[in-house]
Amino acid sequence: MERILEHPLISFRRGEMITFFFEGRELLAYAGETIAAALHANGIRDLRYSPTRNRPQGLFCAIGKCSSCLMEVDGKPNVRTCITPVKCGMIVRRQHGRGEVSE
Amino acid sequence: MSNLDLLVIGGGPAGLSSAIEAAKNGLSVLVVDEGVSSGGQLVKQTHKFFGNEVFFASVRGYEIGRRLSEQLNSLDSAKIQNESSVVAIYPDGILVHDMKHDRTSLLRPKKIVLATGASERFIQFENNDLPGVYGAGAVQTLMNQFGILPGRSVLMIGSGNIGLIVSYQLLQAGVEVKAILEASNRIGGYRVHADKVKRAGIPILLQNTILRAIGEECVRGAVISGLDERWKPVGGTERELAVDTICIAVGLSPSIELAAQAGCEIRYVQELGGYIPLRDEDMRTTIPDVFVAGDVAGIEEATTAMIEGQIAGLAVVSDLTKKSNKERLTYLKNTIRNFRSGPTSSKTRAGLSKLGSRFEEVSFTKDNQDDFTKYEGKMRPVIECFEAIPCNPCETSCPANAISIGDNINSRPSIDYSKCTGCGICATTCPGLAIFMFRENKDGTCSVGIPYEFLPLPSQGQYVTALGRNGDTICKAKVEKVVKSANKTNLVYINVLRKFASDVRHILVSSREPEAILCRCEEISIDQVKKAISDGYTDFEELRRYLRISMGPCGGRTCRLNTLMILSEETGIPVEKLSPGVFRPPSIPVSFKALSEGRVDGCEE
Repeated sequence: MERILEHPLISFRRGEMITFFFEGRELLAYAGETIAAALHANGIRDLRYSPTRNRPQGLFCAIGKCSSCLMEVDGKPNVRTCITPVKCGMIVRRQHGRGEVSE
Repeated sequence: MSNLDLLVIGGGPAGLSSAIEAAKNGLSVLVVDEGVSSGGQLVKQTHKFFGNEVFFASVRGYEIGRRLSEQLNSLDSAKIQNESSVVAIYPDGILVHDMKHDRTSLLRPKKIVLATGASERFIQFENNDLPGVYGAGAVQTLMNQFGILPGRSVLMIGSGNIGLIVSYQLLQAGVEVKAILEASNRIGGYRVHADKVKRAGIPILLQNTILRAIGEECVRGAVISGLDERWKPVGGTERELAVDTICIAVGLSPSIELAAQAGCEIRYVQELGGYIPLRDEDMRTTIPDVFVAGDVAGIEEATTAMIEGQIAGLAVVSDLTKKSNKERLTYLKNTIRNFRSGPTSSKTRAGLSKLGSRFEEVSFTKDNQDDFTKYEGKMRPVIECFEAIPCNPCETSCPANAISIGDNINSRPSIDYSKCTGCGICATTCPGLAIFMFRENKDGTCSVGIPYEFLPLPSQGQYVTALGRNGDTICKAKVEKVVKSANKTNLVYINVLRKFASDVRHILVSSREPEAILCRCEEISIDQVKKAISDGYTDFEELRRYLRISMGPCGGRTCRLNTLMILSEETGIPVEKLSPGVFRPPSIPVSFKALSEGRVDGCEE
């Protein structure tokens, strides 16, 4: 997807531009936005594969109240990426199943 | 006992309001909120709020969130802790997870206000878990909080206020909304919200539902179907829509998990959104130290959430201090009673009566408008506010005191045109964008002022397409003037023929002039060529010199014959009798370098 550059009502105050890693790819983000938002801005909408049926799933509630955006962040599974801010150098992966602790 | 007087769980309109109320009265307050910033769902609400001035009427939601957060931050005894979740409420304390530092702490406040809000309802259709199927709140978060488009074309499910508002917001962000589906036979939300999306051309399909999402990894489309009276799909009415996003706006469920853990008695009250904690008019649950406010206490809207928050905060103050807040508490209870007294709150009233709180419907003034036609030729507002909703900024903003709502905030506005100065402030202030400016001109045209919240903003003299109440094209219209407003609801005054004026309610501003191009290289339109011919340029070479037609890089390959055909049509001379003009070199573009370094065949050095 893409970022809104001009809006009739809102002027978006975006933070400093940073980079993070998604599945090994380096992506751009703005400090202050959530991981899920940053991934959407990069056109990535499928965030995890469900535990039982292995179905791709993406953002659903965006306020931390469902499980649809759980991803592996810096080796930690089940991170609610919709309410977790993206950080410089963060390593984000699609979560497959219930996730495993890699450390 | 700890020295924390009040723990507020949730930093939305209800939570912040209760925290402010308590901290203003000297209590120590901690607000725990999951979001990266506080304000709850207010941070992504871009519409102007209904209600009255005390509760931020006509102020946009995100601005209300900012003001509440600022107000709380200015109070010394209050603190907000963001990016933190309450994991559990145990008999020996409340377990808070600080997500930023990944550590927990056990709090033992004297009182708790649960302002945990609500979660998005989900409906069942095939492939409803595909990426690209979002709850309406998620679309708002992406779009209005982070400035990221959720998709390019959207199917909206649900025509309640949220479905209508988010559809309008999608349009403002430049996203196409293919349709709004509504399973029942009537639109769920406020009429003013429905009117805004209808005139912008979004169809609201009643008695329709989604059957399935199409796509493998992401949404690529949707199959929808008509429904019969018993809400069963009607065979043969299925059709496919090409969309990349499906937005579900079918309602909210109160987030009661923590209330239940605290031991509050829970009851199912369908009118309030499902399971809710029982509470009295002070917002106290069946556990005396636990209060609720906002959507967790029953799905309503942000204004009543703020009032409930204040009531709960004040009730806590009464519990913990010797201060008598009776007067303010009575005022708040009367205010919320007033808000809920209109026809749009009938469901809330029915739900609350099941909890033993009686809220009466108060009769509201219906139609006592001054005779509009008596003031022909005067610039004045047309108020298309047909539904009694709790809202009065038109009254309070009018500098001439020409508009009145009266004591019952649900009453419809009535206007005294003799007092009206035609300033248009009511039209920019109205949260429902339901006020238009109107004047009959002497030359048989009318000036119509349209509240406009889109980009691009047209400029004076520009031609725009005037649209009707259902988004239908009515006519071309010239923009007379554009009045910009600080609240970003600008007024665009357009000039249209009188016979169209009462139908025109929106404009389509195209950044692309509608032109039929004849010569692609030199961008000459068919209209320009026809005009030149009628001005007397009736020979191809004349047209060429005059318009530069056929003089571009293609050398006339694309336009020469078409120009000759038009010339023939306009002059009546058969094409074969017309001179086709000279075919000059170069026949294709060539660089000077290639020419200067050229060789003559056979004369190689």
